[in-house]
Amino acid sequence: MADMKYVRAETLEEAVAFLSTHGLQTIILAGGTDVMVDVRSGELNKKILLDVSRLAALKKIEITDEGLCIGSGVTLTEINTSPLIKKHAPALQRCSCTFASRQIRNIATVGGNVAHASPCGDTIPPLVIHEAQAVVANQDGQREISMDAIASGAYHSCLAPGDLIVKFILKPRKVGFADFQKIGRRKALAVSRMSMAVMADKDETGNLSFIRFSLGACTPTPHRMDAVESFLMGQKPTHERLLQAGEILAEKMVEITGRRASIIYKEPAVQGLFMRILYPMVEWCAQ
Amino acid sequence: MEKEKIHIQFTLNGRDVSLDIPVKMTALQVIRDGVGLKGTKEGCGIGECGACTIEVNGKAINACLMFGVQLDGCDVITVEGLEKEGTLHPIQEKFLDHHGVQCGFCTPGVLMSTHALFKENPAPDDEDISNAVAGNLCRCTGYQQIFSSIKAAIPVNAVDDDSDMASRHDDKAMCQDSATERDTSMALNGTKKDKTEEAQHHG
Amino acid sequence: MKNQYHTVGKSVRRKGALDKVKGAPVFCADLELDDPLCLKAVRSRYPHALLKHIDVSKALNIKGVVAVFTAADIPGKNLMGIINKDQPLLAADKVRSLADPVALVAAETDEAAALGAAAVIVTYEELPVMFDPQEALAPGAPKIHKKGNLLIKRKIQKGDVDKAFDNAHVIIEKTYQTSAIEHTFLEPDAGVGYVDDDGTLVIHASTQNPHYDHKEVVTFLGVADETVRIIQAATGGAFGSKLDLNVQGFIGLALYHLKRPVRYVFTREESFLATSKRHPFVIHMKSGADIHGRVVVLKMRAVCNTGAYGSYGIAVASRAAVHGTGPYEIDNVDMACSAVYTNTPFCGAMRGFGAPQMALAHESQMDLLATALDMDPLTIRRVNGLKKGSITGTGQTITDSVGFNACLDGVSPYYKEAMDTWVAGSPSPFIKRGVGLGGMWYGIGNTGVQNPSTAKIEMDRKGRVTLFTGCADIGQGSTTVLAQIAGETLGLSADAIEMVVGDTRYTTNAGATSASRQTYISGNAVKDATDKLVNVLLTEAVNRLRVQKSYLKLSGGWVFDDRNPDKKVDFAWLAQRVLDRGGVLSWQGFFDPDTVPLDPETGEGAPYATYAFACQMACVEVDTLTGEVAVKKVVAAHDVGKAIHPENVIGQICGGVAMGVGFALMEEFVPGKTESMKDYHIPTMKDMPEIIPLIVEDAEPSGPFGAKGVGEPALIPTAPAIVNAIAHALGERIYHLPASLERVLEASIKAGHFNKL
Repeated sequence: MADMKYVRAETLEEAVAFLSTHGLQTIILAGGTDVMVDVRSGELNKKILLDVSRLAALKKIEITDEGLCIGSGVTLTEINTSPLIKKHAPALQRCSCTFASRQIRNIATVGGNVAHASPCGDTIPPLVIHEAQAVVANQDGQREISMDAIASGAYHSCLAPGDLIVKFILKPRKVGFADFQKIGRRKALAVSRMSMAVMADKDETGNLSFIRFSLGACTPTPHRMDAVESFLMGQKPTHERLLQAGEILAEKMVEITGRRASIIYKEPAVQGLFMRILYPMVEWCAQ
Repeated sequence: MEKEKIHIQFTLNGRDVSLDIPVKMTALQVIRDGVGLKGTKEGCGIGECGACTIEVNGKAINACLMFGVQLDGCDVITVEGLEKEGTLHPIQEKFLDHHGVQCGFCTPGVLMSTHALFKENPAPDDEDISNAVAGNLCRCTGYQQIFSSIKAAIPVNAVDDDSDMASRHDDKAMCQDSATERDTSMALNGTKKDKTEEAQHHG
Repeated sequence: MKNQYHTVGKSVRRKGALDKVKGAPVFCADLELDDPLCLKAVRSRYPHALLKHIDVSKALNIKGVVAVFTAADIPGKNLMGIINKDQPLLAADKVRSLADPVALVAAETDEAAALGAAAVIVTYEELPVMFDPQEALAPGAPKIHKKGNLLIKRKIQKGDVDKAFDNAHVIIEKTYQTSAIEHTFLEPDAGVGYVDDDGTLVIHASTQNPHYDHKEVVTFLGVADETVRIIQAATGGAFGSKLDLNVQGFIGLALYHLKRPVRYVFTREESFLATSKRHPFVIHMKSGADIHGRVVVLKMRAVCNTGAYGSYGIAVASRAAVHGTGPYEIDNVDMACSAVYTNTPFCGAMRGFGAPQMALAHESQMDLLATALDMDPLTIRRVNGLKKGSITGTGQTITDSVGFNACLDGVSPYYKEAMDTWVAGSPSPFIKRGVGLGGMWYGIGNTGVQNPSTAKIEMDRKGRVTLFTGCADIGQGSTTVLAQIAGETLGLSADAIEMVVGDTRYTTNAGATSASRQTYISGNAVKDATDKLVNVLLTEAVNRLRVQKSYLKLSGGWVFDDRNPDKKVDFAWLAQRVLDRGGVLSWQGFFDPDTVPLDPETGEGAPYATYAFACQMACVEVDTLTGEVAVKKVVAAHDVGKAIHPENVIGQICGGVAMGVGFALMEEFVPGKTESMKDYHIPTMKDMPEIIPLIVEDAEPSGPFGAKGVGEPALIPTAPAIVNAIAHALGERIYHLPASLERVLEASIKAGHFNKL
């Protein structure tokens, strides 16, 4: 079995420069939890391993004029314990509570989770509702890619061989209501069969003044569900309205995926999880 | 085919270790085959069972999911590093006292997850414990005695636990085969449930 | 009841646990050898095909490959099987599943072995494939084995079933289905071997039955018994899978030809592919009850898919048929269980041998009957439960140790509280709470066949005791329990008993660690041997102390006069005297349960000498929106006869409940699709209910200190209790395990709960 070469980048510039010449042959190693599985199976078979796991430039969590900036190398544990993220992107903090296992959270990175482009990636719905932009660097400079553009298909990111995600810029938001929930086949170490991220604010009368919602693990690429958001905006959420919004959500999902075998479960389940995650808003808005 | 070797240096259980390893070698292979410490186990190779859990820079990690080259410059602890000069670590003692070991294959991984947990949080509650160990699968124990072993090993508990042990062995109450004796006998459990609370619920 | 024993009944520190917490290198994959060769099996490309030709030339040219073996290289008999011998070590003329090994590569490294395996060119002629037992049973179906596709049909008939149905007040007839299950022990199968200085082929194995392994290996190699030595290494769980050979035959073959150390460690993926699974069952059950809720008649037809080879299929079908009644006295029965060959990878022993699958059926039927009769589920089980003097479906009168009612007593207050208070307290409008019961019985030992155990105990001149047993400890703690039994008999602590376990050079056959038999059968063999040793010591002590034997007691290594404890003599003194006089301090023990084989037509017989009983109660919360189920609490009352080591018993109960939760909710092995632990889910700590274990001790007179067994009983009632609880929560029942997200949500929708407040 052909072995690999190992390169550890000392700076971001070094990493980008290296990728510009060797990108096609290179696997980027941030946390490694997805990379290792694919290397072991033979699915990922490239000549060079570029280790960016120690680049300080990729590890920052800070609020700047741009927004809430989360380095691509930030681990799920760091997301879990960050007061800034808990305050400004609570759904993202919530998803880190049920992500895989403690061992994996300790090294898996948000950048890796996004770049792997698994439809089931748990960080993705929260990033979507915060309208996150991935800041991607290559030899030509930096550009921003939105979350719904970064995956071109299931397990296919739109990233080119010379690209490296540097950070994510989220629109920070302190909201009155935020949650992330998932359905898995067991209560831990479970790939999401379905996930949802939501955040919302209400006005003085209890009508929703702000809402963002994203569905995960049900579509090949990430989606913010505007149709659902606009349906609920400006009104008090009631059980009846949530039922209707759930139906809209299910319709949208089926539009995107078509009627596959899993639809028998997912069509009702998406409405069910939707109700479960949003029902607490009914009481919250009635206060 | 010539394999490129990378030189890594790290601290393993307090000792300095130096190795030249191929890039594709996992951290698990480095520990088991490179260094020769067999305590860390391979249960699945893909991070789905936790049997290979080690502590790297104070954090519990699946060694099968790390490249060996990532160990460079790190402070690594494996199960062999828990005991000091022939004296078991309190976590190890409690697992023996509280019957947290059956086949033993998941045990090193569980011990390391526990060790890392206490490092981060010397006073974990029940949920902290289950969050820390959720990634360690066990097929033998059903986790209950693992849980009680960990609870007993919580640093502040470990000091007081010895007095408990003696009474646990003697007054094990059991259900007899006649209804009349039930009122005084009680379930053998010894973990989370408050026995007096149970007694009140009897019809 | 106060414990009158000094070690029996005490939860002493487990023997061997120290090694485990230290991470000592005691498992097969840990053992270091001198430059070992790595082995890798080449497995079939087709599920059913004739094997036309194997070309190993390319493989032999791969750098590092040392040898490639095929069936032609097997010097002895190329046939194995734990009950019926129908499985070749390496395929000779045909392959019957994708798991079938066709060739074996030995190479200097794992990578070279893998490359070598990929380079072996095999020519097949495809045959029609059958994955479904009904297909395989259809007239004219291609034969997978020469004898046809029906491995066995076990029948049990008693009374007049037709008449009884005619007179029944209520009849329930349903079909139940379970899926194939993977054992998922944490230690993937592994083994190492080397040739000893005296030419012995030594194999360290991850196994449940080293003596059986030995027999198969010497048969493959056509060599004398002494040529092969099997040593059971620490075995990281097994649950029935490591009863069949995993790598022992391959290692033996390589050692025989190459005379170099060899090693074979399965990846998890290979373990999933190549080792046995729990038989999936389809069970038709028709139960009739009278107006008082007494089940008077039962008709059962079950078909289980035994896959490509028999393995334990005969035992599974037999046990399933016997246990199909559940722990209930039913006068008229017509049961038949068929094990059918198909081209899926073979199924074999898995904790419970068909009883867990049957329990889904009989416990669901009990609840359905209860509903039809407007009876309480606990009451209907009391009405029907086996008691002392009851007659079973096979016509066996059980006279002792029938603790089912006591188990119901144990669960009863928890059941009342759950039904009166807990059920109504749902945390959310979308969560429905339910409570369910599951009862079970389980015959200890192999079904109606001899399965003896032997043991040897020895005392040396210094009075030190060593116990030799072929009983494989696979994590359940038998080594400790057997030491306790010997220790109790000798008046010593378990610590004082040196153990030699599972080494065919030194131990004798204790039978397999399966069928929950070791405490009862090996325990009795150990007691038998130890009693003999004690008798010798007491006889010598009488000489010395001039006291009648009946006044002598043993404790702490001394024999003393019970009336005057200062009058005593120590073991060392006694041992020396005995040996100097040419006496014997090495004694063999033997035990085989008192059974009568089942009649092949009527199933009449006494298949087991003793039965374990249990009742479990499960409290569940069903998410009516998503189909997720949380098991909040399980109360598990188990009649074990006598708990020799209570914490071990609790450990088995908790482990069994965990396995039951998995069986009920999340485990489903689909051959061809389930490849690794990413695809197969066993419960994590977060999936576990609070477990309240209740130990019931209805002493078994023929058991060592009254003990029976618990290993498999622990698991059997759990899934039925959970299924009954889900039915209680939703008012809609699930008949097909696992009660997965999909099935539960479907039930929620059907019952009209979905998305309703």
